[in-house]
Amino acid sequence: MSREQYQVPTGSGSPTIGTGSFSAPTARDYTGDVGGVMYYMCGDCAVRVPLEKGAPIRCQKCGARVLYKERTKRMVQFEAR
Amino acid sequence: MPHKPPTKEELERRKIVGIRDETITDVSCSDFPGHYPGEDHSWDIDAFRRGFSVEFHQNDRFEASFSLIGCDASIANAFRRIMIADIPTLAIENVFINNNTSVIQDEVLAHRLGLIPFQGGHEGLHKFLKWWRKPTDEAQMNNSYYDFNTVSLKLEVQCEHNDKAAAGETDPTKLYHHAHVYARDIEFCPVGRQDRYFSGADAIAPVNPDILIAKLRPGQEISLSMHMHKGVGSDHAKFSPVATASYRLMPVIDITRPILGDDAEKFARCFPRGVIELEKVTKKEAGQKGSGYEGHAGELKAVVADPMRDTVSRECLRHDEFKDKVKLGRRRDHFIYLVESTGQWESDAIFIEAVAHLKKRALDLEKQVKNMVR
Amino acid sequence: MPRAKTRKEEPVEAGSDTVMEEAPTSHQPESRDDMSVDQDENDEAGEAEEDEIEEEEEVQRVRLLPGSTPTAASFEFLNEGHTLGNALRYIIMKNPDVEFCAYAIPHPSEAKMNVRIQTFEGTTAIEALEKGLRDVQDLCDVVSDKFIDAREKFVAGASS
Repeated sequence: MSREQYQVPTGSGSPTIGTGSFSAPTARDYTGDVGGVMYYMCGDCAVRVPLEKGAPIRCQKCGARVLYKERTKRMVQFEAR
Repeated sequence: MPHKPPTKEELERRKIVGIRDETITDVSCSDFPGHYPGEDHSWDIDAFRRGFSVEFHQNDRFEASFSLIGCDASIANAFRRIMIADIPTLAIENVFINNNTSVIQDEVLAHRLGLIPFQGGHEGLHKFLKWWRKPTDEAQMNNSYYDFNTVSLKLEVQCEHNDKAAAGETDPTKLYHHAHVYARDIEFCPVGRQDRYFSGADAIAPVNPDILIAKLRPGQEISLSMHMHKGVGSDHAKFSPVATASYRLMPVIDITRPILGDDAEKFARCFPRGVIELEKVTKKEAGQKGSGYEGHAGELKAVVADPMRDTVSRECLRHDEFKDKVKLGRRRDHFIYLVESTGQWESDAIFIEAVAHLKKRALDLEKQVKNMVR
Repeated sequence: MPRAKTRKEEPVEAGSDTVMEEAPTSHQPESRDDMSVDQDENDEAGEAEEDEIEEEEEVQRVRLLPGSTPTAASFEFLNEGHTLGNALRYIIMKNPDVEFCAYAIPHPSEAKMNVRIQTFEGTTAIEALEKGLRDVQDLCDVVSDKFIDAREKFVAGASS
């Protein structure tokens, strides 16, 4: 069982820009004009928490410090084995 | 010295595997040319036809039991192995998960879905559907799915609160809609010519609609689609058309000296019910000298009624009073099969298919050998 | 590939994990059909597919191992196992012209099965092997006929 054909999510452009150097692949531009807001799930009250870059990792509703990443919106393929 | 042909008793004796309290005897068959001087045991199809017979005990959709009498273990075993590993069935092979917020992990869910047995129109399943081969070129993947090699299914379930639930209700199935996801929630999406073969009663559907796939709570969702392909049991057990396909040898119980009275009842209790019955000793038997029944007219004696039901537990050999009065054994050429179908094939059709499969394999290899010599 | 349509229509949320356009191409088929449909106009494609499968079956799976003489030979079968190996061994041993026959699977993780045949003068190992394969086919016919007869009788007995 594997997440077949998994690709590291990248924000824009292809990760192969700037070949020849060991620079990290062009990462997602979190501060870009898309808003830079990532949503997380509060571990305590399960509310959707929008977080900006640099914001304290904390649920705005209940103050819990445990936040979970949301599930991918992509289709994921599995072998039924 | 001219060779005497073996007597009937001798031939019968050669077929029996002896079972003693701690040991077994005469395990291997001896019907090969050259084993007994002066006897011909070479392969003869007419002799085989005369000696071979099939007896049915049960024939239901999900379970068939029958005996093959008069063939070798290597042949019987080939049929059994083919039934388990080489008869193709249709099963879920790929799962495309769009969303799964249930507590069951994606890979576990995919695995569970793969194991669900499906049924459908026989003509479509066995004649119309062909093998799907994974293309070596990943880019060609989307051009490899055709209506004759892929069956598409989907499963879309969302769990919600049930507003009509009674106050104080604690049963999740009443409190919520779709708290349980069952195999019956899987939807078949016919493509192309599949409509022709899989419609109405012939539609692709789970054999058992009540298989529980996952449990949900309000707000959770499972949304996925699936591709089914043909496969064989040697690749993955989900493709095996049988739950079990097994055989056992016919038990033989030979009461060599009479077992009478209370002993007979005790003897009967050493076996599963129905194997040993009790009968009254007749006056005629009691009058026979040397029969062991002298003066026991009217008493109960143990007789073998149905040895097939015996499990050959050897319990009777643990009691000193029976030790010298009974011989246990199994018939080496009598195979009692039990075939349990998962529902995609009729249970008896699986065996017929296995025989056809062995023939095809031999035919293919015969061509190969001829080709090798050329 | 399934569900590509519905996914595309969903608005891409700001800050969501990824946008659809970045997904690997294999997740987004060019044609939006779930499957290519083998209709009458492209029946050829289907036949081509089937022909391809037939061609693959043509691979030579039986090989004469080195060191063989006409009356004593070892054969190597690819993609065969105990199922055919033991049945074939039995039926070849039933041949009175065969002095010795045995099969082996040298290693369980290799899909290979070896058969050793030694015959008396007058026939060859290859002939014995061919006869064995023919005998297996004859046997299958008898088993099949008898099985279907017995089933018919059983069904008739149960219904009457």
